[in-house]
Amino acid sequence: MKAGFEMVHGTTLDTIQPHESWNSYPTVGFQNPISIPFPKPPVTENRCVNLDRNELSEWVEHITKQLIDDLPESTAAAAASPADAAFHTATTSSDDNNFHQSIPGGELRPKKMLRSYLETDGDDESVQWNNNNEIFQNGRDGTGLGLSKVDEHGLSLITLLLECAVAISVDNLGEARRMLLELSQLASPYAESCGERVVAYFAKAMSSRVINSWLGISSPFLNHRTVHSTFQLFNNISPFIKFAHFTSNQAILEAFHRRDRVHIVDLDIMQGLQWPALFHILATRIEGPPHVRLTGLGTSMEILMETGKQLSNFAKRLGISFEFQPIASKFGDIDVSAFQLRRGETLAVHWLQHSLYDATGPDWKTIRLLEELAPRIVTVVEQDVSKGGSFLDRFVGALHYYSTVFDSLGAYLGSEDPSRHRVEHCLVYKEINNILAIGGPARSGEDKFRHWRSEIGKRFLQVPMSANSMAQAQLILNMFPPAHGYSLVQGDGVLRLGWKETSLYTASAWTSCTSNIVPRYSC
Amino acid sequence: MDITLFTPKEAHFLNSSKQIINGLAEAAIDMQISNQQQPQNSHTSTSRSSDSGEPCPSDKWASRLLMECARAISEKDSSKIHHLLWMLNELASPYGDCDQKIAFYFLQALFCKATDSGLRCYKTLTSVAEKSHSFDSARKLILKFQELSPWTTFGHVASNGAILEALEGETKLHIIDVSNTLCTQWPTLLEALATRNDETPRLKLTVVVTASIVNLVMKEISQRMEKFARLMGVPFEFNVISGLNHLGELTKEGLGVQEDEAIVVNCIGSLRRVEVEEREAVIRMFQSLRPKVVTVVEEEADFSTSRNDFVKCFEECLRFYTLYFEMLEESFVPTSNEKLMLERECLRSIVRVLSCDEENDRECERREKGSQWSERLKEAFLPVGFSDDVVDDVKALLKRYRTGWSLALPQGEVAHDSGIYLTWKEEPAVWASAWKP
Repeated sequence: MKAGFEMVHGTTLDTIQPHESWNSYPTVGFQNPISIPFPKPPVTENRCVNLDRNELSEWVEHITKQLIDDLPESTAAAAASPADAAFHTATTSSDDNNFHQSIPGGELRPKKMLRSYLETDGDDESVQWNNNNEIFQNGRDGTGLGLSKVDEHGLSLITLLLECAVAISVDNLGEARRMLLELSQLASPYAESCGERVVAYFAKAMSSRVINSWLGISSPFLNHRTVHSTFQLFNNISPFIKFAHFTSNQAILEAFHRRDRVHIVDLDIMQGLQWPALFHILATRIEGPPHVRLTGLGTSMEILMETGKQLSNFAKRLGISFEFQPIASKFGDIDVSAFQLRRGETLAVHWLQHSLYDATGPDWKTIRLLEELAPRIVTVVEQDVSKGGSFLDRFVGALHYYSTVFDSLGAYLGSEDPSRHRVEHCLVYKEINNILAIGGPARSGEDKFRHWRSEIGKRFLQVPMSANSMAQAQLILNMFPPAHGYSLVQGDGVLRLGWKETSLYTASAWTSCTSNIVPRYSC
Repeated sequence: MDITLFTPKEAHFLNSSKQIINGLAEAAIDMQISNQQQPQNSHTSTSRSSDSGEPCPSDKWASRLLMECARAISEKDSSKIHHLLWMLNELASPYGDCDQKIAFYFLQALFCKATDSGLRCYKTLTSVAEKSHSFDSARKLILKFQELSPWTTFGHVASNGAILEALEGETKLHIIDVSNTLCTQWPTLLEALATRNDETPRLKLTVVVTASIVNLVMKEISQRMEKFARLMGVPFEFNVISGLNHLGELTKEGLGVQEDEAIVVNCIGSLRRVEVEEREAVIRMFQSLRPKVVTVVEEEADFSTSRNDFVKCFEECLRFYTLYFEMLEESFVPTSNEKLMLERECLRSIVRVLSCDEENDRECERREKGSQWSERLKEAFLPVGFSDDVVDDVKALLKRYRTGWSLALPQGEVAHDSGIYLTWKEEPAVWASAWKP
């Protein structure tokens, strides 16, 4: 595994304080997260001032807010857009399906409102995070931005892109395809401008969707090995994955304090990049390493076995007694018995969420199984982008989110860099494609939770991320210049990492140990 | 490997073809996996990177899936068409490796064919190209292409060689340039004329533009050409003829041909833009101009004889463009915008040839191979072999580029008889020839 792990680990040995908040955690009496007597860590912010804001992203946000507000009720407000509804009914059956028939509703012309919007000049506004991360719906009145820095070409591309999204949302596929053909000839994914790259990939995703609409099929088709290797590359050129790994590992470590039999369940283990660092710390504990059992879920048994073997070898070298159990299923498709829980084991469940494919299956089953497992700690890292809702909702949210991601990659690597291209094309694009696809990332049409933290919060008790987790995160950021572009915020017990004031990933931790749940195994 | 193909609601798609589809899907994924296990030079990735600049092997999953789909379309097997289009849609990308790109562009054509929207698509693409082309972008593109690949310069060097030899001793030259090369061929010729031992001849250049997109930039080009000729000290006149419905409409008077001029007809990539039935007439028209030499350069592909057989035409189209894309992939850097633009231009042709109606065959670019053009040209002209000097010039040109390129002569014929071929990895790519009355 990569040297980066060792480096961070080396420096944090000094900073880890034993006996963190964990032992003071109240176990008597049912506790509502708000009334925890243990003082919440102070909100520490790590923002930089005087940054060039993510201009493109802000402009998009303001424009699209206007757009959404002005759309007719039937499309914007509906929980499922006509386009998504079409997925559930067998739409196409034969070749007579005359593809380019115009559907009324194509009169919807965002151009006019966009133009009137562009003509107003105004002061820049600062963008605040709120807990829901639904930044584009904050209650402020948007005023126009000074647009001198966003070039003409980029603007016309974005405008066309938005018109196209509107066309798709009202099922005007012929018009959408025409606009997409145009966009596909104009926007380049190798451009200097991040905005143009974003447009190129969003246009491609929408093209794909238009074809799928016509076909009536939306199932995904994915090569997992490519995904895993690109994920690893992303891990090398950007801090977000390491942030997820290290902050979660810290919370897990704290939960494992003084436990000698531990069981980690990783809901989507991929190549298991996260665990060597944790093993390293466990191996060097004062009380000696625990016996470690790791259950990894994934898509392919072959890949899981390879991962298991590598982790076993690593654990062996560290002198950790280790067991690996692969489960080639989705978490939401199995039941408790698959985990073969043992008495005396401390259970940690970890979930790094992404939009590459549906890793866990039905949401309601996932959360139920989590409850049944009653783990001592659940670590979740969520992407701050909405994967549910109507097409247009997802489109707007994704545009804001991914233009920020592109911006962050662009700050670190040049426009010709092949690694950057590979991550954008093979990873980020795949997510965009999934979020915009019919039926959303899970491609199942199932009603997915919009906001995992609130769902988990109904059933679990929050464990605030400790100062040590924050310290870990800070160290990671220092590995990725320009570190000052990233915003790391601790608040409400969670840690958020973002780029230039847009939160991208949120790490949180939860426990099922409340007194009104009778634990099956020692908690 | 997880293929979650269908939800229960779409079971009606499942019935007959699930086996086929699973088989194809397995094959496709296997091919992608085996691509990744090839040894890597790149230190930043552990599996095949599309950006390592390594060669794209041909005959992989893309052509298999595409051919299956073309067959399904001609057999009108609706369910199979849907499944294959779905797979192609998921796997294809215009920004990935060669296979992904080929899959993407041909997918668009197949989709147009299946939805009967080819002409509409073509028109949109043409109008976008016209709007977004500028002299600067076109010039930058061509020059970059010529710097990295002999695809176009091959024809220029061979033609210029034949032209100069045919015009030895002439003083009043009139070159009728039927091409869309933005006059990138002529500076070297002007230089050669200027440095001839005898008195510098007068040159009249009449450019006949057949692609509407090129027309937009001709004004700038004429200014530059005139300036360059002045610099070279060559008495020069420049005319542009455009807006023709078809080449057959050209006349001596229309072209401003005068009796005392030595005429040259230079035809680069233009004969293919003539409707198949009118090609004979155009050649006769060239004959009527009584040229000293006719130089013809065309890309080596046959979309003409198979034009009533969709699958055959598709196969040939796939072969040709795979060659072209692979060539581009190896000639440019992975993240090149110029390469992207050249690839995107192909979409117009591919859509046009494969998914538009026969009635609107104009602008169709039904390519023919060198041997086929030779048959036509032999009706009105005699072939002129390229001299040893010209062949040497071409060979010297090829040495300036990456390996993979070479010169080939037609099989089984007397040396230099009906033109020469530029080959890419042993495959004939471009054909150049010279003819006299």
